[in-house]
Amino acid sequence: MKKLVIASSTVVGKSQPLSADDLAHACGAEVEWVAQLVEIGIVNARGEQPAEWRFHSADLERALQARRLAHAFGGDLDAVALILDLSQEVRRLKARLRALGGADLDV
Amino acid sequence: MEFKDYYSILGVERTAGEDEIRRAYRKLARKYHPDVSKEKDAEARMRDVNEAYDVLRDKEKRLAYDNLAAGVSPDGGFAPPPGWDEGFEFHRGAAPGDEAQFSEFFSSLFGGRARRGGAHQEFRARGEDHHAAVEIDLEDAIKGATRDISLRSMQMDAQGRPHMQTRTLSVRIPPGVREGQYIRLAGQGMPGYGGGENGDLYLEIRFKPHPRYRVDGRDLYMNVPVAPWEAALGASIDVPTPGGAVEVSVPPGSANGRKLRLRGRGIPGEPAGDLYLVLEVALPPADTEAARSAYRKLQQELPSFNPRRHMGV
Repeated sequence: MKKLVIASSTVVGKSQPLSADDLAHACGAEVEWVAQLVEIGIVNARGEQPAEWRFHSADLERALQARRLAHAFGGDLDAVALILDLSQEVRRLKARLRALGGADLDV
Repeated sequence: MEFKDYYSILGVERTAGEDEIRRAYRKLARKYHPDVSKEKDAEARMRDVNEAYDVLRDKEKRLAYDNLAAGVSPDGGFAPPPGWDEGFEFHRGAAPGDEAQFSEFFSSLFGGRARRGGAHQEFRARGEDHHAAVEIDLEDAIKGATRDISLRSMQMDAQGRPHMQTRTLSVRIPPGVREGQYIRLAGQGMPGYGGGENGDLYLEIRFKPHPRYRVDGRDLYMNVPVAPWEAALGASIDVPTPGGAVEVSVPPGSANGRKLRLRGRGIPGEPAGDLYLVLEVALPPADTEAARSAYRKLQQELPSFNPRRHMGV
């Protein structure tokens, strides 16, 4: 059974950010968990009060990864934060290497 | 439908205890982590491993799966017999977004169960959000496009039995979208409970590798071959850019690898990215007498040129 739906779409970012509720819901988690991520610095909340917090695509990506890592390896969020920083750095370096070095680098 | 042997996916015996299953899972989760693994099918393997762990870590799901597996011939096709899951109550275990990517086998067994349980309860809640990735061409990110995306999800039939349904969404990709950004489709996730709102669908943008451009954030890099005299004497050359061909002046005395920046000609946005042209000096082949003679003349005219001077020889 196939159905074509024209879906209205928004890019998660500066002009259409996510609230703390949105971010928690997207991760299948509670707002308290998002507050922990903010406190540890895994995600970057724009805005002062939790009700004003706004998040962009990079925050959603990191929150989802944090959720998966915590699910796979258990809960220490400080360790999760370090793993996320390291893997982000690896990806940045790989992208840079590809951009500069051209063709198929086996990295 | 293919029967999935969750024990062999995790590489454990059927008698394995919880600790052993967890250890096996964590080892494989490290092995197939996308930032670490060198294996081509790491993502697919990781999905299988997540799926297997989701079932085997959960006492009820594991028992139900064991009961079912006892009556399955290892080679034949597979369909769960009616009522196989009577008496079990499953709850969601997977990390967000993962369950939606699990196999048809998994979904036919466990996909609908949580929702059937939920339907009896007297509460109102928003449906779960769904996650998927979409791979687009670089040109789509630059100019914008509309893409049809097929998604599989579980639906209940009239008898309350789950079945897979494929639906196609026509999604607008706005110009200027970057790799790793998410597109949010309101109301396209799971249906709400008790009259609650639908969940949303988040699409993660990935770029297909481009034959000409390499991407770094909003910036693009492209190798541009130039003749030795173009690099040495300077020249005005035509280069293709995503927005169409442009004329670029190569400054005299350009070395191999010199980067020329075309401001704002990368991926559009605030600010737009830049396009870097990486000059690549191409040597004319010495395959005719005229070419050999030209090289000899260059050699005679430049007797002091020593490309290895900096090596001290």
